[in-house]
Amino acid sequence: MVKKSWLVLFLIALPLLSGAFVSVLAQGFFQPVPVLVFKIDVGMLAFVAGVIVTLLLLSFYLGGLRIERRSHRMLERSLKEAELGRRRFLRRLDHEIKNPLTGLRAALVNLQEMRGTEERQRAAANASHAVDRLSRLLADLRKLSDLEERSLENLPVDVPELLQEMVDAARSLPAYGNREVNLLISRVPSPFPTVRGDRDLLGVAVYNLVENALKFTTANESVEVRALEDGRTIVVEVADSGGGIPAEDLSNIFEELYRGSNARGVDGSGLGLALVRRIVALHGGEIEVRSRQEEPRGTVFTVRLPVSKR
Amino acid sequence: MARERMTLLLADDDHTIVDSLAPFLERAGFKVLVVSNGAAALEKVQSHHPDLIVLDVLMPRMDGRETLRRLRHANVWTPTILLTQVGEASERALALEEGADDYLNKPFDPHELLARVRAVLRRARPGERSLSAAWLLTAGDLLLDRRARRASVKGEPLDLTPKALSVLEYLMTHPDEVVSRERLLTAVWGWEYPAGTRTVDTRMAELRRALDDDPASPYYIETISGEGYRFIPSVHGEG
Repeated sequence: MVKKSWLVLFLIALPLLSGAFVSVLAQGFFQPVPVLVFKIDVGMLAFVAGVIVTLLLLSFYLGGLRIERRSHRMLERSLKEAELGRRRFLRRLDHEIKNPLTGLRAALVNLQEMRGTEERQRAAANASHAVDRLSRLLADLRKLSDLEERSLENLPVDVPELLQEMVDAARSLPAYGNREVNLLISRVPSPFPTVRGDRDLLGVAVYNLVENALKFTTANESVEVRALEDGRTIVVEVADSGGGIPAEDLSNIFEELYRGSNARGVDGSGLGLALVRRIVALHGGEIEVRSRQEEPRGTVFTVRLPVSKR
Repeated sequence: MARERMTLLLADDDHTIVDSLAPFLERAGFKVLVVSNGAAALEKVQSHHPDLIVLDVLMPRMDGRETLRRLRHANVWTPTILLTQVGEASERALALEEGADDYLNKPFDPHELLARVRAVLRRARPGERSLSAAWLLTAGDLLLDRRARRASVKGEPLDLTPKALSVLEYLMTHPDEVVSRERLLTAVWGWEYPAGTRTVDTRMAELRRALDDDPASPYYIETISGEGYRFIPSVHGEG
Protein backbone atom coordinates (compact mmCIF):
# COMPACT_ATOMS: atom_id res chain seq x y z
CA MET A 1 0.00 0.00 0.00
CA VAL A 2 2.68 2.46 1.11
CA LYS A 3 4.91 1.58 -1.80
CA LYS A 4 2.03 2.04 -4.20
CA SER A 5 1.15 5.52 -2.95
CA TRP A 6 4.83 6.59 -3.34
CA LEU A 7 4.70 5.43 -6.90
CA VAL A 8 1.50 7.40 -7.45
CA LEU A 9 3.05 10.52 -5.94
CA PHE A 10 6.08 10.10 -8.19
CA LEU A 11 3.86 9.79 -11.24
CA ILE A 12 1.98 12.90 -10.18
CA ALA A 13 5.24 14.83 -9.81
CA LEU A 14 6.59 13.48 -13.10
CA PRO A 15 5.10 16.25 -15.33
CA LEU A 16 6.62 18.89 -13.01
CA LEU A 17 10.04 17.24 -13.03
CA SER A 18 10.08 16.69 -16.77
CA GLY A 19 8.87 20.30 -17.29
CA ALA A 20 11.79 21.54 -15.19
CA PHE A 21 14.19 19.25 -17.05
CA VAL A 22 12.95 20.42 -20.47
CA SER A 23 13.24 24.09 -19.49
CA VAL A 24 16.79 23.63 -18.20
CA LEU A 25 17.60 21.76 -21.38
CA ALA A 26 16.06 24.55 -23.52
CA GLN A 27 18.16 27.13 -21.76
CA GLY A 28 21.17 25.10 -22.86
CA PHE A 29 22.73 24.77 -19.42
CA PHE A 30 23.76 28.45 -19.53
CA GLN A 31 24.22 28.63 -15.83
CA PRO A 32 27.05 26.80 -14.17
CA VAL A 33 24.44 25.30 -11.91
CA PRO A 34 21.34 24.37 -13.88
CA VAL A 35 18.96 26.85 -12.25
CA LEU A 36 15.93 28.24 -14.02
CA VAL A 37 16.11 31.76 -15.33
CA PHE A 38 12.76 33.39 -15.86
CA LYS A 39 12.31 34.10 -19.51
CA ILE A 40 9.55 33.38 -21.95
CA ASP A 41 10.67 30.51 -24.13
CA VAL A 42 9.78 26.89 -24.94
CA GLY A 43 11.49 25.63 -21.79
CA MET A 44 9.48 27.97 -19.54
CA LEU A 45 6.30 26.89 -21.30
CA ALA A 46 7.14 23.25 -20.64
CA PHE A 47 7.89 24.05 -17.02
CA VAL A 48 4.61 25.90 -16.48
CA ALA A 49 2.69 23.14 -18.27
CA GLY A 50 4.39 20.58 -16.01
CA VAL A 51 3.41 22.54 -12.90
CA ILE A 52 -0.22 22.81 -14.05
CA VAL A 53 -0.50 19.14 -14.95
CA THR A 54 1.03 18.10 -11.65
CA LEU A 55 -1.29 20.37 -9.69
CA LEU A 56 -4.27 18.95 -11.58
CA LEU A 57 -3.17 15.38 -10.95
CA LEU A 58 -2.56 16.17 -7.30
CA SER A 59 -6.01 17.65 -6.84
CA PHE A 60 -7.62 14.67 -8.60
CA TYR A 61 -5.65 12.33 -6.41
CA LEU A 62 -6.53 14.06 -3.16
CA GLY A 63 -10.17 14.44 -4.22
CA GLY A 64 -10.28 10.74 -5.07
CA LEU A 65 -8.85 9.89 -1.68
CA ARG A 66 -11.53 11.98 0.00
CA ILE A 67 -14.35 10.39 -2.00
CA GLU A 68 -12.94 6.97 -1.26
CA ARG A 69 -12.84 7.73 2.42
CA ARG A 70 -16.36 9.11 2.37
CA SER A 71 -17.82 6.13 0.48
CA HIS A 72 -15.93 3.86 2.84
CA ARG A 73 -17.63 5.58 5.76
CA MET A 74 -21.00 5.33 4.05
CA LEU A 75 -20.49 1.65 3.35
CA GLU A 76 -19.56 1.07 6.96
CA ARG A 77 -22.65 2.89 8.11
CA SER A 78 -25.01 0.97 5.82
CA LEU A 79 -23.36 -2.30 6.85
CA LYS A 80 -23.94 -1.38 10.45
CA GLU A 81 -27.55 -0.50 9.67
CA ALA A 82 -28.06 -3.78 7.83
CA GLU A 83 -26.61 -5.64 10.79
CA LEU A 84 -28.91 -3.77 13.17
CA GLY A 85 -31.87 -4.49 10.90
CA ARG A 86 -30.97 -8.14 10.77
CA ARG A 87 -30.80 -8.37 14.56
CA ARG A 88 -34.08 -6.51 14.92
CA PHE A 89 -35.68 -8.88 12.42
CA LEU A 90 -34.40 -11.97 14.26
CA ARG A 91 -35.67 -10.60 17.56
CA ARG A 92 -39.11 -10.02 16.08
CA LEU A 93 -39.12 -13.40 14.39
CA ASP A 94 -38.25 -15.04 17.68
CA HIS A 95 -41.18 -13.23 19.23
CA GLU A 96 -43.62 -14.20 16.47
CA ILE A 97 -42.65 -17.87 16.72
CA LYS A 98 -42.63 -18.02 20.51
CA ASN A 99 -46.35 -17.51 21.01
CA PRO A 100 -47.81 -20.13 18.68
CA LEU A 101 -45.09 -22.55 19.78
CA THR A 102 -46.02 -22.10 23.43
CA GLY A 103 -49.66 -22.70 22.54
CA LEU A 104 -48.72 -25.76 20.55
CA ARG A 105 -46.72 -27.23 23.44
CA ALA A 106 -49.53 -26.70 25.91
CA ALA A 107 -52.04 -28.23 23.52
CA LEU A 108 -49.83 -31.30 23.01
CA VAL A 109 -49.43 -31.78 26.77
CA ASN A 110 -53.20 -31.59 27.10
CA LEU A 111 -53.59 -34.07 24.29
CA GLN A 112 -51.28 -36.54 26.06
CA GLU A 113 -52.79 -36.14 29.49
CA MET A 114 -56.48 -35.57 28.93
CA ARG A 115 -58.85 -38.49 28.61
CA GLY A 116 -62.19 -36.89 27.74
CA THR A 117 -63.01 -36.89 24.01
CA GLU A 118 -64.27 -33.32 24.03
CA GLU A 119 -61.22 -32.03 25.88
CA ARG A 120 -58.92 -33.86 23.50
CA GLN A 121 -60.70 -32.42 20.51
CA ARG A 122 -60.35 -28.93 21.90
CA ALA A 123 -56.64 -29.50 22.45
CA ALA A 124 -56.24 -30.79 18.90
CA ALA A 125 -58.10 -27.75 17.54
CA ASN A 126 -55.80 -25.45 19.51
CA ALA A 127 -52.75 -27.27 18.24
CA SER A 128 -53.87 -26.95 14.65
CA HIS A 129 -54.66 -23.26 15.17
CA ALA A 130 -51.09 -22.70 16.40
CA VAL A 131 -49.76 -24.63 13.42
CA ASP A 132 -51.85 -22.47 11.08
CA ARG A 133 -50.29 -19.36 12.53
CA LEU A 134 -46.78 -20.73 12.10
CA SER A 135 -47.55 -21.85 8.55
CA ARG A 136 -48.87 -18.43 7.64
CA LEU A 137 -45.76 -16.78 9.01
CA LEU A 138 -43.55 -19.16 7.06
CA ALA A 139 -45.59 -18.69 3.88
CA ASP A 140 -45.28 -14.90 4.10
CA LEU A 141 -41.56 -15.08 4.82
CA ARG A 142 -41.19 -17.24 1.76
CA LYS A 143 -43.15 -14.75 -0.33
CA LEU A 144 -40.79 -11.98 0.71
CA SER A 145 -37.70 -13.98 -0.20
CA ASP A 146 -39.34 -15.28 -3.37
CA LEU A 147 -39.96 -11.69 -4.50
CA GLU A 148 -36.22 -11.14 -4.72
CA GLU A 149 -35.73 -14.14 -6.97
CA ARG A 150 -38.74 -14.51 -9.19
CA SER A 151 -38.92 -12.82 -12.55
CA LEU A 152 -41.71 -10.28 -12.72
CA GLU A 153 -44.28 -10.38 -15.43
CA ASN A 154 -44.18 -7.19 -17.43
CA LEU A 155 -47.59 -6.84 -19.05
CA PRO A 156 -50.17 -4.04 -19.19
CA VAL A 157 -52.42 -4.19 -16.14
CA ASP A 158 -55.95 -2.80 -16.09
CA VAL A 159 -55.92 -0.97 -12.75
CA PRO A 160 -59.66 -0.29 -12.25
CA GLU A 161 -60.49 -3.93 -12.97
CA LEU A 162 -57.80 -5.10 -10.56
CA LEU A 163 -58.98 -2.72 -7.82
CA GLN A 164 -62.57 -3.90 -8.21
CA GLU A 165 -61.50 -7.53 -8.04
CA MET A 166 -59.37 -7.12 -4.93
CA VAL A 167 -61.94 -4.96 -3.14
CA ASP A 168 -64.57 -7.62 -3.80
CA ALA A 169 -62.22 -10.38 -2.63
CA ALA A 170 -61.39 -8.60 0.64
CA ARG A 171 -64.89 -7.55 1.62
CA SER A 172 -66.37 -10.97 0.88
CA LEU A 173 -64.20 -12.57 3.57
CA PRO A 174 -66.49 -13.94 6.29
CA ALA A 175 -64.87 -11.67 8.89
CA TYR A 176 -65.98 -8.56 6.99
CA GLY A 177 -69.47 -9.69 6.03
CA ASN A 178 -69.60 -7.78 2.72
CA ARG A 179 -68.96 -4.39 4.28
CA GLU A 180 -69.29 -1.44 1.97
CA VAL A 181 -66.05 -0.20 0.36
CA ASN A 182 -66.25 2.94 -1.79
CA LEU A 183 -64.36 2.58 -5.02
CA LEU A 184 -63.75 5.82 -6.93
CA ILE A 185 -62.00 5.84 -10.27
CA SER A 186 -61.47 8.84 -12.54
CA ARG A 187 -62.58 7.94 -16.07
CA VAL A 188 -63.19 11.30 -17.70
CA PRO A 189 -62.05 12.38 -20.26
CA SER A 190 -59.97 9.32 -21.18
CA PRO A 191 -60.07 5.74 -19.93
CA PHE A 192 -57.75 4.95 -17.05
CA PRO A 193 -54.19 4.32 -18.26
CA THR A 194 -52.56 0.96 -17.73
CA VAL A 195 -49.57 0.16 -15.55
CA ARG A 196 -46.94 -2.31 -16.70
CA GLY A 197 -46.14 -5.06 -14.31
CA ASP A 198 -47.10 -8.27 -12.60
CA ARG A 199 -50.87 -8.31 -12.18
CA ASP A 200 -50.87 -10.97 -9.48
CA LEU A 201 -48.30 -9.19 -7.36
CA LEU A 202 -49.99 -5.81 -7.74
CA GLY A 203 -53.18 -7.60 -6.73
CA VAL A 204 -51.50 -8.82 -3.54
CA ALA A 205 -50.40 -5.27 -2.74
CA VAL A 206 -53.89 -3.81 -3.23
CA TYR A 207 -55.53 -6.68 -1.40
CA ASN A 208 -53.24 -6.35 1.61
CA LEU A 209 -53.97 -2.63 1.87
CA VAL A 210 -57.74 -3.07 1.57
CA GLU A 211 -57.78 -5.99 3.96
CA ASN A 212 -55.72 -3.98 6.44
CA ALA A 213 -58.16 -1.09 6.22
CA LEU A 214 -61.08 -3.44 6.90
CA LYS A 215 -59.20 -5.11 9.74
CA PHE A 216 -58.61 -1.84 11.59
CA THR A 217 -62.10 -0.40 11.16
CA THR A 218 -65.53 -1.38 12.43
CA ALA A 219 -68.75 -1.62 10.44
CA ASN A 220 -69.62 1.99 11.48
CA GLU A 221 -66.45 3.39 9.96
CA SER A 222 -65.73 3.71 6.25
CA VAL A 223 -63.15 2.41 3.84
CA GLU A 224 -62.51 4.06 0.50
CA VAL A 225 -60.29 3.11 -2.44
CA ARG A 226 -59.61 5.76 -5.06
CA ALA A 227 -57.52 5.95 -8.18
CA LEU A 228 -56.33 9.07 -9.99
CA GLU A 229 -53.85 9.71 -12.75
CA ASP A 230 -51.98 12.64 -14.24
CA GLY A 231 -50.69 11.00 -17.39
CA ARG A 232 -47.33 10.07 -15.90
CA THR A 233 -48.24 8.61 -12.55
CA ILE A 234 -51.24 6.75 -11.28
CA VAL A 235 -52.13 7.23 -7.64
CA VAL A 236 -54.05 4.62 -5.71
CA GLU A 237 -55.22 5.55 -2.24
CA VAL A 238 -56.67 3.23 0.34
CA ALA A 239 -58.26 5.32 3.07
CA ASP A 240 -60.19 4.51 6.21
CA SER A 241 -61.79 6.40 9.09
CA GLY A 242 -60.53 3.92 11.68
CA GLY A 243 -58.60 4.61 14.87
CA GLY A 244 -55.43 5.69 13.11
CA ILE A 245 -51.82 4.69 13.68
CA PRO A 246 -49.79 6.16 16.57
CA ALA A 247 -47.31 8.74 15.27
CA GLU A 248 -44.31 6.90 16.72
CA ASP A 249 -45.22 3.77 14.73
CA LEU A 250 -45.78 5.47 11.38
CA SER A 251 -42.20 5.38 10.17
CA ASN A 252 -41.78 1.69 11.03
CA ILE A 253 -44.95 0.02 9.83
CA PHE A 254 -43.42 -1.06 6.52
CA GLU A 255 -40.66 -2.96 8.30
CA GLU A 256 -40.78 -6.73 8.35
CA LEU A 257 -42.54 -8.12 11.42
CA TYR A 258 -42.96 -4.68 12.98
CA ARG A 259 -46.06 -4.46 15.12
CA GLY A 260 -47.37 -1.07 16.13
CA SER A 261 -48.93 -0.72 19.56
CA ASN A 262 -52.43 -0.87 18.03
CA ALA A 263 -51.61 -4.01 16.04
CA ARG A 264 -50.61 -6.24 18.93
CA GLY A 265 -52.86 -9.19 19.30
CA VAL A 266 -54.36 -8.57 15.86
CA ASP A 267 -54.27 -11.53 13.51
CA GLY A 268 -51.72 -11.40 10.72
CA SER A 269 -48.14 -12.32 9.98
CA GLY A 270 -46.69 -8.84 10.45
CA LEU A 271 -45.33 -9.02 6.90
CA GLY A 272 -48.27 -7.70 4.89
CA LEU A 273 -47.13 -4.08 4.58
CA ALA A 274 -43.50 -5.12 4.03
CA LEU A 275 -44.72 -7.17 1.08
CA VAL A 276 -46.72 -4.22 -0.25
CA ARG A 277 -43.72 -1.90 -0.06
CA ARG A 278 -41.48 -4.44 -1.81
CA ILE A 279 -43.99 -5.07 -4.61
CA VAL A 280 -44.52 -1.34 -5.18
CA ALA A 281 -40.75 -0.76 -5.26
CA LEU A 282 -40.29 -3.59 -7.77
CA HIS A 283 -42.73 -1.75 -10.04
CA GLY A 284 -40.76 1.48 -9.82
CA GLY A 285 -43.31 3.10 -7.54
CA GLU A 286 -43.47 4.39 -4.00
CA ILE A 287 -45.79 4.18 -1.02
CA GLU A 288 -46.60 6.63 1.75
CA VAL A 289 -48.84 6.67 4.75
CA ARG A 290 -50.45 9.46 6.73
CA SER A 291 -52.62 8.95 9.74
CA ARG A 292 -54.40 10.87 12.51
CA GLN A 293 -55.65 9.63 15.83
CA GLU A 294 -57.58 12.82 16.64
CA GLU A 295 -60.77 13.80 14.84
CA PRO A 296 -61.01 13.61 11.88
CA ARG A 297 -59.35 10.27 12.48
CA GLY A 298 -58.17 7.84 9.88
CA THR A 299 -55.37 6.49 7.77
CA VAL A 300 -54.49 6.93 4.10
CA PHE A 301 -52.02 4.75 2.23
CA THR A 302 -50.90 6.33 -1.05
CA VAL A 303 -49.30 4.23 -3.79
CA ARG A 304 -47.74 5.93 -6.82
CA LEU A 305 -46.93 3.87 -9.89
CA PRO A 306 -45.53 5.00 -13.24
CA VAL A 307 -48.00 4.87 -16.14
CA SER A 308 -46.89 2.50 -18.89
CA LYS A 309 -45.58 4.23 -21.99
CA ARG A 310 -47.37 3.65 -25.21
CA MET B 1 -59.63 -48.26 -3.85
CA ALA B 2 -57.90 -51.18 -5.49
CA ARG B 3 -58.58 -54.74 -4.37
CA GLU B 4 -55.07 -55.46 -3.16
CA ARG B 5 -53.19 -52.93 -1.12
CA MET B 6 -51.03 -50.58 -3.09
CA THR B 7 -47.44 -50.14 -1.96
CA LEU B 8 -45.94 -46.71 -1.39
CA LEU B 9 -42.26 -46.01 -0.97
CA LEU B 10 -41.67 -43.03 1.32
CA ALA B 11 -38.16 -41.58 1.13
CA ASP B 12 -37.35 -38.81 3.61
CA ASP B 13 -34.50 -38.48 6.09
CA ASP B 14 -36.56 -36.65 8.71
CA HIS B 15 -37.79 -39.19 11.27
CA THR B 16 -40.54 -37.07 12.74
CA ILE B 17 -42.01 -36.69 9.28
CA VAL B 18 -41.95 -40.35 8.22
CA ASP B 19 -42.96 -41.57 11.67
CA SER B 20 -46.15 -39.57 11.41
CA LEU B 21 -46.79 -39.88 7.67
CA ALA B 22 -46.34 -43.65 7.42
CA PRO B 23 -49.11 -44.57 9.89
CA PHE B 24 -51.33 -41.92 8.32
CA LEU B 25 -50.89 -43.43 4.85
CA GLU B 26 -51.33 -46.92 6.24
CA ARG B 27 -54.63 -45.92 7.80
CA ALA B 28 -55.62 -44.72 4.33
CA GLY B 29 -55.14 -48.29 3.08
CA PHE B 30 -51.61 -48.32 1.68
CA LYS B 31 -48.66 -50.54 2.46
CA VAL B 32 -45.83 -48.14 3.26
CA LEU B 33 -42.09 -48.77 2.88
CA VAL B 34 -39.78 -46.22 4.43
CA VAL B 35 -36.20 -45.32 3.47
CA SER B 36 -34.06 -42.41 4.55
CA ASN B 37 -31.90 -41.67 1.53
CA GLY B 38 -31.85 -41.82 -2.25
CA ALA B 39 -29.52 -44.79 -2.61
CA ALA B 40 -31.73 -46.89 -0.35
CA ALA B 41 -34.75 -45.74 -2.33
CA LEU B 42 -33.19 -47.04 -5.57
CA GLU B 43 -32.56 -50.44 -3.96
CA LYS B 44 -36.09 -50.67 -2.60
CA VAL B 45 -37.55 -49.82 -6.01
CA GLN B 46 -35.55 -52.68 -7.53
CA SER B 47 -36.50 -55.18 -4.85
CA HIS B 48 -40.10 -54.29 -4.00
CA HIS B 49 -41.52 -52.56 -7.10
CA PRO B 50 -43.71 -50.05 -5.26
CA ASP B 51 -46.75 -48.58 -7.02
CA LEU B 52 -45.75 -45.04 -6.16
CA ILE B 53 -42.76 -43.18 -4.73
CA VAL B 54 -42.88 -40.14 -2.46
CA LEU B 55 -39.45 -38.60 -2.67
CA ASP B 56 -38.03 -35.80 -0.57
CA VAL B 57 -35.65 -33.52 -2.47
CA LEU B 58 -33.11 -32.86 0.28
CA MET B 59 -31.67 -36.17 1.45
CA PRO B 60 -28.18 -37.37 2.39
CA ARG B 61 -26.11 -39.66 0.13
CA MET B 62 -28.28 -39.15 -2.95
CA ASP B 63 -30.85 -36.37 -3.13
CA GLY B 64 -34.36 -36.93 -4.43
CA ARG B 65 -33.69 -35.22 -7.70
CA GLU B 66 -30.70 -37.40 -8.59
CA THR B 67 -32.60 -40.49 -7.49
CA LEU B 68 -35.46 -39.66 -9.80
CA ARG B 69 -33.10 -38.92 -12.69
CA ARG B 70 -31.47 -42.32 -12.29
CA LEU B 71 -34.80 -44.10 -12.12
CA ARG B 72 -36.04 -42.42 -15.30
CA HIS B 73 -32.72 -43.12 -17.02
CA ALA B 74 -33.16 -46.78 -16.18
CA ASN B 75 -36.59 -46.54 -17.81
CA VAL B 76 -38.41 -47.00 -14.53
CA TRP B 77 -41.65 -45.03 -14.75
CA THR B 78 -43.00 -45.65 -11.29
CA PRO B 79 -45.21 -42.61 -10.54
CA THR B 80 -43.33 -40.23 -8.28
CA ILE B 81 -44.29 -37.27 -6.12
CA LEU B 82 -41.44 -34.94 -5.22
CA LEU B 83 -41.49 -33.17 -1.87
CA THR B 84 -39.80 -29.85 -2.53
CA GLN B 85 -38.32 -27.66 0.17
CA VAL B 86 -38.77 -24.19 -1.14
CA GLY B 87 -41.44 -22.64 -3.28
CA GLU B 88 -39.10 -21.28 -5.90
CA ALA B 89 -40.32 -21.19 -9.44
CA SER B 90 -37.12 -22.79 -10.70
CA GLU B 91 -37.63 -25.69 -8.37
CA ARG B 92 -41.03 -26.42 -9.84
CA ALA B 93 -39.76 -26.24 -13.38
CA LEU B 94 -37.01 -28.69 -12.46
CA ALA B 95 -39.47 -31.08 -10.93
CA LEU B 96 -41.11 -31.34 -14.36
CA GLU B 97 -37.84 -31.77 -16.17
CA GLU B 98 -36.87 -34.76 -14.09
CA GLY B 99 -40.13 -36.53 -14.74
CA ALA B 100 -41.90 -36.14 -11.42
CA ASP B 101 -45.61 -36.82 -11.76
CA ASP B 102 -46.47 -34.26 -9.15
CA TYR B 103 -44.86 -32.24 -6.43
CA LEU B 104 -45.76 -30.82 -3.07
CA ASN B 105 -44.11 -27.99 -1.19
CA LYS B 106 -43.20 -28.51 2.42
CA PRO B 107 -44.90 -27.85 4.75
CA PHE B 108 -48.02 -29.60 3.48
CA ASP B 109 -51.20 -30.97 4.97
CA PRO B 110 -51.08 -34.80 5.05
CA HIS B 111 -54.56 -34.87 3.48
CA GLU B 112 -53.14 -32.96 0.54
CA LEU B 113 -50.43 -35.61 0.11
CA LEU B 114 -53.08 -38.33 0.21
CA ALA B 115 -55.14 -36.51 -2.42
CA ARG B 116 -52.03 -36.20 -4.65
CA VAL B 117 -51.16 -39.88 -4.16
CA ARG B 118 -54.65 -40.99 -5.14
CA ALA B 119 -54.82 -38.66 -8.13
CA VAL B 120 -51.42 -39.76 -9.45
CA LEU B 121 -52.26 -43.44 -8.99
CA ARG B 122 -55.57 -43.01 -10.80
CA ARG B 123 -53.81 -41.37 -13.72
CA ALA B 124 -50.85 -43.75 -13.89
CA ARG B 125 -50.59 -46.32 -16.62
CA PRO B 126 -48.18 -48.96 -15.27
CA GLY B 127 -44.81 -49.03 -17.01
CA GLU B 128 -45.62 -46.16 -19.35
CA ARG B 129 -43.89 -42.82 -19.12
CA SER B 130 -46.15 -40.19 -17.67
CA LEU B 131 -47.40 -37.04 -19.33
CA SER B 132 -45.38 -34.94 -16.87
CA ALA B 133 -42.22 -36.28 -18.51
CA ALA B 134 -43.28 -35.38 -22.06
CA TRP B 135 -42.20 -32.16 -23.76
CA LEU B 136 -44.96 -32.10 -26.38
CA LEU B 137 -48.55 -32.52 -25.33
CA THR B 138 -51.49 -32.78 -27.73
CA ALA B 139 -55.20 -32.86 -27.08
CA GLY B 140 -57.20 -32.84 -30.29
CA ASP B 141 -56.16 -29.72 -32.22
CA LEU B 142 -54.39 -28.22 -29.24
CA LEU B 143 -50.62 -28.55 -29.10
CA LEU B 144 -48.48 -27.48 -26.15
CA ASP B 145 -44.72 -27.24 -26.58
CA ARG B 146 -43.47 -27.07 -23.02
CA ARG B 147 -39.84 -26.42 -23.85
CA ALA B 148 -40.58 -23.51 -26.19
CA ARG B 149 -43.38 -22.29 -23.91
CA ARG B 150 -45.83 -22.09 -26.81
CA ALA B 151 -49.33 -23.36 -27.43
CA SER B 152 -51.24 -23.55 -30.69
CA VAL B 153 -54.58 -24.70 -32.03
CA LYS B 154 -54.53 -26.13 -35.56
CA GLY B 155 -51.08 -24.58 -35.98
CA GLU B 156 -52.36 -21.12 -35.02
CA PRO B 157 -50.26 -19.87 -32.07
CA LEU B 158 -52.23 -18.80 -28.99
CA ASP B 159 -51.53 -15.44 -27.42
CA LEU B 160 -51.17 -16.35 -23.75
CA THR B 161 -49.49 -14.79 -20.72
CA PRO B 162 -46.81 -17.02 -19.13
CA LYS B 163 -49.12 -17.69 -16.17
CA ALA B 164 -52.04 -18.78 -18.34
CA LEU B 165 -49.69 -21.05 -20.26
CA SER B 166 -48.49 -22.65 -17.03
CA VAL B 167 -52.09 -23.19 -15.97
CA LEU B 168 -52.76 -24.92 -19.29
CA GLU B 169 -49.61 -26.99 -18.78
CA TYR B 170 -50.69 -28.13 -15.34
CA LEU B 171 -54.19 -29.03 -16.55
CA MET B 172 -52.86 -30.93 -19.58
CA THR B 173 -50.46 -32.95 -17.46
CA HIS B 174 -53.32 -33.80 -15.10
CA PRO B 175 -56.13 -34.61 -17.55
CA ASP B 176 -59.49 -35.82 -16.33
CA GLU B 177 -58.56 -34.79 -12.80
CA VAL B 178 -60.51 -32.22 -10.83
CA VAL B 179 -57.83 -29.66 -10.00
CA SER B 180 -58.74 -27.24 -7.23
CA ARG B 181 -57.92 -23.56 -7.45
CA GLU B 182 -55.72 -23.88 -4.37
CA ARG B 183 -53.79 -26.67 -6.05
CA LEU B 184 -53.25 -24.56 -9.17
CA LEU B 185 -52.08 -21.68 -7.01
CA THR B 186 -49.43 -23.64 -5.17
CA ALA B 187 -48.34 -25.49 -8.31
CA VAL B 188 -48.24 -22.62 -10.80
CA TRP B 189 -47.86 -19.49 -8.68
CA GLY B 190 -45.84 -21.12 -5.92
CA TRP B 191 -47.61 -19.27 -3.18
CA GLU B 192 -51.02 -19.14 -1.69
CA TYR B 193 -52.46 -15.73 -2.55
CA PRO B 194 -54.90 -14.09 -0.23
CA ALA B 195 -57.26 -13.41 -3.14
CA GLY B 196 -55.87 -16.39 -4.97
CA THR B 197 -59.00 -18.08 -6.21
CA ARG B 198 -59.94 -14.93 -8.13
CA THR B 199 -56.43 -14.75 -9.52
CA VAL B 200 -56.87 -18.27 -10.88
CA ASP B 201 -60.30 -17.46 -12.32
CA THR B 202 -58.88 -14.44 -14.15
CA ARG B 203 -56.21 -16.54 -15.86
CA MET B 204 -58.73 -19.26 -16.59
CA ALA B 205 -60.96 -16.72 -18.34
CA GLU B 206 -57.96 -15.59 -20.39
CA LEU B 207 -57.16 -19.20 -21.29
CA ARG B 208 -60.72 -19.94 -22.33
CA ARG B 209 -60.88 -16.82 -24.47
CA ALA B 210 -57.69 -17.86 -26.25
CA LEU B 211 -58.92 -21.42 -26.71
CA ASP B 212 -62.35 -20.14 -27.76
CA ASP B 213 -63.81 -22.53 -25.20
CA ASP B 214 -67.36 -21.84 -24.05
CA PRO B 215 -67.61 -22.38 -20.24
CA ALA B 216 -71.29 -23.32 -20.67
CA SER B 217 -70.52 -26.19 -23.05
CA PRO B 218 -66.76 -26.65 -22.85
CA TYR B 219 -64.62 -28.79 -25.11
CA TYR B 220 -61.37 -28.31 -23.18
CA ILE B 221 -61.86 -27.03 -19.65
CA GLU B 222 -64.84 -27.78 -17.47
CA THR B 223 -65.66 -25.88 -14.27
CA ILE B 224 -66.65 -28.20 -11.46
CA SER B 225 -68.65 -25.89 -9.25
CA GLY B 226 -67.20 -25.58 -5.77
CA GLU B 227 -64.28 -27.86 -6.58
CA GLY B 228 -62.15 -26.57 -9.40
CA TYR B 229 -61.39 -27.31 -13.03
CA ARG B 230 -61.05 -30.42 -15.15
CA PHE B 231 -59.27 -30.84 -18.47
CA ILE B 232 -61.71 -32.92 -20.51
CA PRO B 233 -60.08 -34.33 -23.70
CA SER B 234 -57.51 -37.10 -23.47
CA VAL B 235 -53.93 -35.94 -23.76
CA HIS B 236 -51.15 -37.54 -25.72
CA GLY B 237 -47.53 -36.92 -24.81
CA GLU B 238 -44.31 -37.35 -26.77
CA GLY B 239 -40.69 -36.27 -26.77
